[in-house]
Amino acid sequence: MLKKIAFFLLLALLTGILSGCWSRKEISEIAIVLGTGVDLTEDGRIRLTVQIARPTAFVGGGEAGAVGTEAPASWVVSAEGRTVEEAERYLAMKVPRELYWGHNVILVIGEEMAKKGTRMVTNFFQRERQPRENAWLMVTKGEAKDFLETYSDLAKTSAQAAGFLTRMKTCYAVQLREFAEMLASKGVQPTATRVEAKKAGITPGPGQEKVFTAHKQVELTGAAVFKEDKLIGWLDAYQTRGLLWLKGEAMKGAVIVPSPAEPDKNVSIRILRGSTKVVPEYDGENLRFNVIIKVEGNMVDQQSREDLARPEKIKALKEAVAEAIRQRTAVALEKAQGEYGVDIFGFGEAFHRKYKKAWRELKDRWDEEFTRAEVNVTVDVRIREIGLLTRRASTEEK
Amino acid sequence: MRWLIRTLSKRLFRGRKNQSRDARAANQTGDGNLFRAPRKNQVLSPDLETNLKAIKAIFDKCSDVIYREFVFAQNEQIRLALIYIDGLADKGQVSEQIMRALALEVPMVVPGQEITKARALEFIKQRGLCMHQVKETDKLQDVIHAILSGDTVLLVDGHTCAIINGARGWEARSITDPVAEPTVRGPRESFVETLRTNTALIRRRIKSPGLKIETLRLGEVTNTDVAIAYVEGIVNDKLVEEVKSRLERIKVDAVLETGYIEELIEDNPWSPFPTVNHTEKPDRVAAMLLEGRVAILVDGTPFVLTVPTLFVEYLQASEDYYERFLFASAVRLIRFVSMILSLTLPSLYIAAISFHHELFPTPLLLSIAAQREAVPFPVFIEVLIMELSFEILREAGVRLPRPIGQAVSIVGALVIGEASVRAGLIAAATVIVVALTGIASFTFFYSFSIAFRLLRFTLMVLSAALGLLGLISGLAVITIHLCSLRSFGVPYLSPMIPTTGVDLKDVVLRSPWWGMFTRPRLIARQDQKRQEQGLKPTPPKNPRP
Amino acid sequence: MLEKGKIDSNQAVMLMVSLVLPTAILFVPAIIVKHARQDAWLAAIVALLGGLLIARLVVSLSLRFPEKTLFEYAQTILGKVPGKLVGLLYIWWFLYTGALIMDEFASFLCTAIMPETPPVVLFLVGIAVAAYAVRNGLEVLSRYNQLLLPILLGLLVITFLLVTKDMKAERLLPVFDQSAPAILKGAAVPLSWLGEIVLFAMIIPFLQKPREAHRVAALATLFTGLFFAICTVVTLSVFGPNLAAHWVFPVYNTVRVVSIANFLERLDIIIVAVWVFGGFAKMGVFYYAAVLGSAQWLGLKDYRPLVAPVGLLLIGLALLCDNIVDLLDFAARAWPPYALIVFEVGMPLFLMIVALVRGKGESNA
Repeated sequence: MLKKIAFFLLLALLTGILSGCWSRKEISEIAIVLGTGVDLTEDGRIRLTVQIARPTAFVGGGEAGAVGTEAPASWVVSAEGRTVEEAERYLAMKVPRELYWGHNVILVIGEEMAKKGTRMVTNFFQRERQPRENAWLMVTKGEAKDFLETYSDLAKTSAQAAGFLTRMKTCYAVQLREFAEMLASKGVQPTATRVEAKKAGITPGPGQEKVFTAHKQVELTGAAVFKEDKLIGWLDAYQTRGLLWLKGEAMKGAVIVPSPAEPDKNVSIRILRGSTKVVPEYDGENLRFNVIIKVEGNMVDQQSREDLARPEKIKALKEAVAEAIRQRTAVALEKAQGEYGVDIFGFGEAFHRKYKKAWRELKDRWDEEFTRAEVNVTVDVRIREIGLLTRRASTEEK
Repeated sequence: MRWLIRTLSKRLFRGRKNQSRDARAANQTGDGNLFRAPRKNQVLSPDLETNLKAIKAIFDKCSDVIYREFVFAQNEQIRLALIYIDGLADKGQVSEQIMRALALEVPMVVPGQEITKARALEFIKQRGLCMHQVKETDKLQDVIHAILSGDTVLLVDGHTCAIINGARGWEARSITDPVAEPTVRGPRESFVETLRTNTALIRRRIKSPGLKIETLRLGEVTNTDVAIAYVEGIVNDKLVEEVKSRLERIKVDAVLETGYIEELIEDNPWSPFPTVNHTEKPDRVAAMLLEGRVAILVDGTPFVLTVPTLFVEYLQASEDYYERFLFASAVRLIRFVSMILSLTLPSLYIAAISFHHELFPTPLLLSIAAQREAVPFPVFIEVLIMELSFEILREAGVRLPRPIGQAVSIVGALVIGEASVRAGLIAAATVIVVALTGIASFTFFYSFSIAFRLLRFTLMVLSAALGLLGLISGLAVITIHLCSLRSFGVPYLSPMIPTTGVDLKDVVLRSPWWGMFTRPRLIARQDQKRQEQGLKPTPPKNPRP
Repeated sequence: MLEKGKIDSNQAVMLMVSLVLPTAILFVPAIIVKHARQDAWLAAIVALLGGLLIARLVVSLSLRFPEKTLFEYAQTILGKVPGKLVGLLYIWWFLYTGALIMDEFASFLCTAIMPETPPVVLFLVGIAVAAYAVRNGLEVLSRYNQLLLPILLGLLVITFLLVTKDMKAERLLPVFDQSAPAILKGAAVPLSWLGEIVLFAMIIPFLQKPREAHRVAALATLFTGLFFAICTVVTLSVFGPNLAAHWVFPVYNTVRVVSIANFLERLDIIIVAVWVFGGFAKMGVFYYAAVLGSAQWLGLKDYRPLVAPVGLLLIGLALLCDNIVDLLDFAARAWPPYALIVFEVGMPLFLMIVALVRGKGESNA
């Protein structure tokens, strides 16, 4: 008897399940969002802009995608609302498929929106299950909508292009989760990637030699500085290098220093790796940070004629590199301590680690303390390789 | 699941079951209803005529039974009769060694000792017949069975005893390559349809008096010979008892293949997984016996059953033991992976396409999305169509006469592979998935892949309904079911679950021969030591030329 | 005997790990981090020590009656009526915990992979699978668990290894930042989960070697506790204490972070899927305990007739839960004292004392 009951229950369950098909969305029923932008409109509403992939442009293999007729790879569409969700619902009325955020590469916040406060934006993208916390967060000068309404020549879409750019960490890059962590911490103020759409390069082709088809492309141009969740200023690319050194992140890039014997000519050192250590010192009143940066690099370019492949020259180069890095950090420090008055380097975290008791008093007025702190930067440079040349190729002995 | 099917089938088969029960009852009351069988313990009469009459009555309308009456060479009063079945007896032997010997060439006896009727039987048995195997019986039943088995029966007038000559000889298939289990390296012999040949094939491999081959007869009508083989000292005696008792309770009218027996001795008849393994390779059977298993051979089929059966057996090819262990282990790993693929790949694909797009990296997702733009079906229907057409193709390939088979595969590959993708009916990715699944399911034993094929469709339905959750639930149920299965008392998943450490070296990986010291613990409960330790070859460091 | 199967010690250890871990690593790290912040892993270790004590107590009590389950020896110790009363309480507790587990899992699944699916469907699926395992008995349940728990834990550990790229040891510093009360408060939650080992009292009679019960319980607790600690360390070092406390399911978010070579990423779905295996096991253990307990309480000869009704009861109880906020609040605040004081420490201690005073059971344990 019991078996019969259970049997019918199971049958009912099975039919229920089969007819239900909750949460089912075929791939052909979804609109794959690759990039998202959020702006603040003039009347204070939130404008959500999405860059949606057009699958037909991604056909791979032989005959299917006929050569030559390059279909646009993305579709950019926006809608407004009081919250991100409301804007999304209005978007749903324009987009004939279900919006799908799982592969969203970038989240771009427009300048005005960032000034108003990013919490209004990021909360949705953290709370929802589809958007990944790995998405790159960036702030654009101007409108995020304009930024997304570009296309890329190498990547299929500009969102992907921006994603690739940030992933390579050529400039300051921050993921949504890292931004959220900075936002949640009292020991550091958030910073985000600064991006802009700028004309870059041309796409020459037969018949196009004269018609320069330069169009706007995405570009990383530095960092955006926040106090709490509000944008308060920018760092340009040079200042951002300083930020990166002090944060101990993304030890890539090159340092250009004057050649020891010919100061008007330059020598380029490409950074391989490095590390940053922040040692706070606090005696109850005076706050000091000793920043020790260790760098390793290779020489890649030399404009001068002198023979640098000598121990004493390398030593001189090392000092020059150290000085260059110190300068960069000084610029960034000056901006942060002086102009913006926020600890964007995470010195507070370092302080917390060492002085947990003092931190409890200082944490609520940390930014003031930070602006008053003294920062000593020591740079320890190591130049390992000099490439395939021992010296500049065309030269008389000197 | 089991009881679900049971209740279902109870409903469906209730009528039929009752019917068959009635039929059986009728059968038992009127014992001779089916055919004219001799009464039990009916003995032969001394009169040849009477005996012949009785036998002829039993073999009424059996045109292939031959009765040859003749007289004894020495004494014409002694009448003899030979009875055999045309085609089952070796005609040369019958005419040369029996008839010629008795009717013409019986050696001169000691003078004065004339062979009387009374001494005829004794004389014939001892000196008259040039046969290697001679038996005597006075029971009519035995005579009938002997004739049916292909033996030649000699009746001597005046004696209640019949002489059974083992002059069997019929047209039989010769020993060939194994068809269902081809190998690259290893013995090429496979079993044939004759029981005796098969036992000989095993005996050739295990030359030990410990190899016991017991026979019994199954099938009320077919009277099929069945042999149980095991190696005494290695096998668990209780297992042999269990096998015998399960075989003895079989009361069916016919046993034409080991499959009949398999279904009648299984531990869990409702399970899609086979709990009795079969093979047509004598070397495999020998290996099984040496691990303590019992083999069941049936006359008339080249497939031999081995019990108990473990899940891992289906992943182990006999070749694994002939190739070097590193390669064997690698191949086994591939088999293991393809087993998982053949079960889950289509459902995983369905789940990923219709629920969990996150599973794909972005470029792959975009590429799949592009492929699927034109496809008019939901992915479940698409995969179902493809899977079904694959199954149809496969079945057609098996059933069709060989020359046409090739045509089918070409048409199948072209129509299903190329054309459907070009027409935009099916996404290329789906074809890849289905093809991979299909190929993967052929890497391990056929009988086992059938189970996975059935379950694959169930999983597909589940994952179409609930996505990965459905797939996982289905897999969980399958796992629980596998955990609950036993084959002749041995847990089906052992030695993986419950884990027996030492036996794990012959599961997914095969350890080298010098590392396998013991026999499987749960199967061979006696004499677990397989070989000495320290057999790892250590050639001298500086070999002399 | 209602249960004929016997399980070996390894299976028992794994079963006891499954008893706690699958849902615990979902919810507990966030709760510990909320209280103890950077010192969450310390709290986990403290909880582990407490858990070992509870395990010791429960096994000592059970080994006085090695042939009997909790329901049977409660009557031996206290007499028939009070014993039955205790049994009833424990049936309630098993049922309630079972329903809670289902709720936790359903809310996790809803959040993580299938938001539109009604919870009742998830309950039905979970109960159907668990019921199948329970019907097949303890032996099958523990074999299933023995097969799949290593896969689940192995995948998690692999994920943790993959996420090392995003870990920073500094996020764990400073040690001892929080006061001792905060750490203890943080430890209470994992302790109450580790204390679910009380259910081992239902399993001990079916061990092949009951004498190894102490070792089994200690190993299981140790393993679970350490795994807790590892989980908290990983989440902390990936997100830092501030963000880790914000997530509802921090370990899940940790898995989401994995991204290797832009290809090996988005592993969360796979982990969630494998997690479900663990969920079935955990569900199954409580379900089994509830069914077996009820059968013993009612004095039945076979527990199978109870499988379906108890399953429906579980679904009913699980449906009572309104939303995830209630659930989280309950798990963080109401559950620890309720479970810990009454069922995991109080009752066994009481039984032990009475048994000692009345001199019931074998004393050589």
